Amino acid sequence: MFKKFRKKSPWILHYNAGSCNGCDIEILACLSPKYDLERFGVINTGNPKQSDIFLVTGPVTMRSRERLVELYTQMPEPKVVIAVGSCTCTGGVFRDMYNVEDGIDRYIPVDVYIPGCAASPELIIDGVVKALDILEKKTKEREKPFRLFKDFTLKDGIVSRRESALRIGDDDAKD
Amino acid sequence: MSKKTINIPLGSQHISLLEPVRFKFECENETIVGVDSDVGFVHRGVERACTTKFKYDAIGYVVARICGLCAITHSLSYTVAIEKLMDAQVNSKIQYLRTLLLELDRIHSHMLCLSHTAESAGFEAMFMRIMGDREDIMEIQELLTGNRIQFDYISIGGVNRDIDSQRAKEITLRLRELEKKIYGYIEEFENNWSLSLKYKGIGRLSLDEAYKFNAIGPLARASGLAIDVRNEIDYLPYKEIGFEMQLHTDGDIHARNSVRLAEILNSIAMCRNILEGLPDGDIFTKIKGKPTGEVLVRYEAPRGELMYYVKGNKTAMLDRVRIKTPTFASIPAFSHIFMGENYADAPAILASFDPCLSCTAK
Repeated sequence: MFKKFRKKSPWILHYNAGSCNGCDIEILACLSPKYDLERFGVINTGNPKQSDIFLVTGPVTMRSRERLVELYTQMPEPKVVIAVGSCTCTGGVFRDMYNVEDGIDRYIPVDVYIPGCAASPELIIDGVVKALDILEKKTKEREKPFRLFKDFTLKDGIVSRRESALRIGDDDAKD
Repeated sequence: MSKKTINIPLGSQHISLLEPVRFKFECENETIVGVDSDVGFVHRGVERACTTKFKYDAIGYVVARICGLCAITHSLSYTVAIEKLMDAQVNSKIQYLRTLLLELDRIHSHMLCLSHTAESAGFEAMFMRIMGDREDIMEIQELLTGNRIQFDYISIGGVNRDIDSQRAKEITLRLRELEKKIYGYIEEFENNWSLSLKYKGIGRLSLDEAYKFNAIGPLARASGLAIDVRNEIDYLPYKEIGFEMQLHTDGDIHARNSVRLAEILNSIAMCRNILEGLPDGDIFTKIKGKPTGEVLVRYEAPRGELMYYVKGNKTAMLDRVRIKTPTFASIPAFSHIFMGENYADAPAILASFDPCLSCTAK
């Protein structure tokens, strides 16, 4: 039941990791009547434990990186991370400043990159729609059967569920 | 903290917050008795980078990235500071175009704040209505500059795009339509009974307190303190285009909303005056030399006074760029207003301040 409708109503968690507010306003503008991201069933939620899509803006500052990783780990699987804005993707104009960590992909895996300063609402909607496909793919990947103890050469003999289940596409190569 | 009180954190990530800020409320039953705020989550080190990483002619575009909402005020303040250091004069057309964009930016920032206040008070329909109408202003800005948020419109010695008569006509037309909608909001904010329960008499700041806690911007003007940099400066032609200071005496959330709505109307009138009487001239003046000496420039951002101090030393790298932002000056007043209010009103009060943390932390 949940799996079937997950694609139809993904909930968004939005976190500002030190951006200039430009992209945040554009995300807000996406939810407003003209662009209306909510027609895809998207709701902006404040609770990481109920959300499927993680929208991050801003180059990661030293103080916000712990919160960023914490929010990411609190979200349930399957989850998709979208980096909104140039500075989130690479650091942008803030690259090499002393309190900045040059983009979020140093800390958490990113699925969709949205460039632009500030990223326009059309691009954000496009990115979210792409993220929905990835979310569906990840959901299907989780339903596949997998061997819990597949690699006996490991010392403790335990392969973590995350290692084997979350990899998209290249899990055959690992066997 | 005694045994009777409960500590409730708000932030650093919260549904009613756009930006990471943390407030620790010390509550006794429902009433807030102590506030502790933490604003440094978005500190990036822009001031430092302005003196080590970028040359003086690029900094105008870097400081715009301090804040997406008042980007134009930041780049304009810096540009005017550099023009003063190099003893350059720009013609009146450039000044009028700069003022036009400054006022458009103020309109969209105030509309965002109003919609956010309505949402925090639980009036989702009003939020959607204002956000929908705000797209008019964003489209005008896109028409004028080519981008919706980060314009990069102002360069040292001029502006980057000209305006033709057809565009000016369309902008005037759209502003007239927007003005009608603003009158609708005033009607709603003044007369809606359920909004008055959330707004009237809540989050009050008296005139003495506003003076004592050094409040600036719409926060001070809602309390009756006549502070507006637009009234004091002479680098921009505010007196010619019909600037009027908007004051209110109550000092509560409703008063702040009224001041913002009145300022939007005043800004629309000013934009119309600019477009009607736009003088002819070039949009760019060539400036030679390197910045030397020190200068202090003040401007009125949507949230209050913005101050730039720039020191040059005849090379391409500057010695010092100091930025004092409006929200930073208002934090003592914020903390004072929260005392004695209900915790349930805290998000609405916070939204009515219109805080800009990425400005504050830089």
